Amino acid sequence: MAFRHLMAVARKELAHILRDGWTLSLVLFTPLLVLILMAYALSADIQHVPIAVLDRDRSPASRTFVAQITAGDDLELYATVEDLGAVEDLFTRGEIKGALIIAPTFAADVASLKGMPIQIIIDGTEPETGGFAVEQIGRRAAEFANAAIVNQLAGAAGESLQTIDLRVRAWYNPSLEPRVDLIPGLISLVLAFPALSAALTLAREREHGTLEQLLATPIGRGDLLLGKIVPYIIVGLINVILITAVARVWFRVPFNGNFALYFGLSALFMFAALSMGVLVGMFMRTQAAALALSFLLLFFPAFFLTGIFFPIVAMPEIARLEAMGLPGTHYAIITRGVFLPGVGIEVLWPYAVMLIFLGVVFTALAALFFRKKIG
Amino acid sequence: MPPESPIIQTFGLTKQFKHVRAVDSLDLAVRPGELFGLIGPDGAGKTTTLRLLAGLLDISDGSATVAGFDLKSRSESIKPLIGYMAQEFSLYGELTVLENLRFFSELYDVSRSERRERTDRLLEFAGLTEFTDRRGKLLSGGMKKKLALACTLIHRPQILLLDEPTTGVDPISRRGFWDILTELHLEGTTILVSTPYMDEADRCTRVGLMFGGQLFACDTPLAIRAGISGDLVALKAADWRRAKSILQDLEGVLEIQLYGDALHVRIDSARKRLPRIKRELRRNGVDYRSLRPAPVRMEEAFLSLMGQREQKS
Repeated sequence: MAFRHLMAVARKELAHILRDGWTLSLVLFTPLLVLILMAYALSADIQHVPIAVLDRDRSPASRTFVAQITAGDDLELYATVEDLGAVEDLFTRGEIKGALIIAPTFAADVASLKGMPIQIIIDGTEPETGGFAVEQIGRRAAEFANAAIVNQLAGAAGESLQTIDLRVRAWYNPSLEPRVDLIPGLISLVLAFPALSAALTLAREREHGTLEQLLATPIGRGDLLLGKIVPYIIVGLINVILITAVARVWFRVPFNGNFALYFGLSALFMFAALSMGVLVGMFMRTQAAALALSFLLLFFPAFFLTGIFFPIVAMPEIARLEAMGLPGTHYAIITRGVFLPGVGIEVLWPYAVMLIFLGVVFTALAALFFRKKIG
Repeated sequence: MPPESPIIQTFGLTKQFKHVRAVDSLDLAVRPGELFGLIGPDGAGKTTTLRLLAGLLDISDGSATVAGFDLKSRSESIKPLIGYMAQEFSLYGELTVLENLRFFSELYDVSRSERRERTDRLLEFAGLTEFTDRRGKLLSGGMKKKLALACTLIHRPQILLLDEPTTGVDPISRRGFWDILTELHLEGTTILVSTPYMDEADRCTRVGLMFGGQLFACDTPLAIRAGISGDLVALKAADWRRAKSILQDLEGVLEIQLYGDALHVRIDSARKRLPRIKRELRRNGVDYRSLRPAPVRMEEAFLSLMGQREQKS
């Protein structure tokens, strides 16, 4: 180990990041851009789902019902049709995502409290949207039925009644905005981007032919690899500051923990993720291949395994073990803990230990497998 | 006086890639202070040989020592002693001339004061003094090569391994480059340089001719050219096509090549054959302006030696 060699490589790498516009934007702005895009994409409500209505009753009651169902922004009355054939036609052309069929006995059945003869058909190829349509129609139908019952009862009792009002309250994220809960998890995902660029750096030197000259020098393997990691840790930490600020100011995500602690733990994450990136990129000859493989290994499992979108406890044992081997898993837990509940090191230390462990293992493996040969 | 023991030596050095044997049982010995040229066409195995000697590739078979270190076990010990220059530009395009020099000086543990002193000298040497702050990628082809050489020289290596340093360089820069190499040679540096240009062979103290991964001749340029069989005559004729067709079938004519407006005719013996050649040309009414002995060029020697080798095998 020669510190001077390490610093020479680190300085060179930093100069490259700062002077090459593509690398600079990849490491500095991509995480931010992806965070903003995903935050909006994931939290955007489903709106204006086109549905068709086949009203076989044609009573004032059924017309009121249809009007109530399509009153919000969520469902949109795309067409009123005369028969089932027209419904099927609209489905196959992809123009509607759901259909509501009202039986001829609707008004009579509701008035006599016998039930509500309606049928809902959804496009099963889009279960997310279809399920949403069912949920919304069902909710409104229940309200409609509720009101009918209340009216009957009130008529019998001769006084007005209140329907049941159920309110759900969520702790730590009181307004239940999806973003606030998602953003800390997303942050841990997008901060893997610097690791991606680290995966590219060795392949880039190989492509540009600079690796040949570098390997002909007496530089040690450890110095070379660490020299490549250090600048990206710095860039990654700049990202941490930038992204925390954006989360705080733009998305108004509360930051209840200690920022200094978060910064320190982020440095550990960067170390672990970057050594993983270098390890992955080492085996690839071209930047394109390195990009593809590291995407597969750094991001793809991160989506499923970091617990951002799917809870880890619901996973099979083998996938859970794999999740433990990914720096992103631990960092996701740290990030979520620091942001909303604001927990400290007394809770987070096991994850910090895991990050150090992974970083050391990945670096050691990289140094072990890296040979100063070009063949 | 016994010859000094070689500073670079290979025994049956072989590099087998998946589909090609790039270097095939190569026996090479370069003595300290030599300016040794590896001459051969593209694909002859020059680059692989130099990469092997620089410790950048694993040896498939055979052995090699550089500066007394075995390449298989001690390739890292060799690295501080050699200066290797790759064929392609392999410096950092994003760094300036000065930054590139500084980067390599740090990797070779050149002290700060030494660096300052050597940088100025090398920049002047390479004619890059005006371009110190220019980024590597913005330099011209010749300047890139000179910068690469300067970076290779920053730690004053005993041994220089240069892979086609003049390929893609204009003729004037090429000449300047060889002047630098000659100067380094006079200072005592051992230089192993590869080139596809036959005319550059004459600036080496010794050359090795390579083809198909093998060394098929190894001697001083003078001896190599003298080793060619027969004599060479240059013939200038108005109708060279006709002259060529007449000479082709004559006894003793080994080879005919066209150089500019002259035919270079290799014959087994000028003394014996010239009268007959003149007679035949006159008899066929071919008007020739001159017919005189010509000096053998390295290119002709290379082709002739290669032909002899093929006949043998």
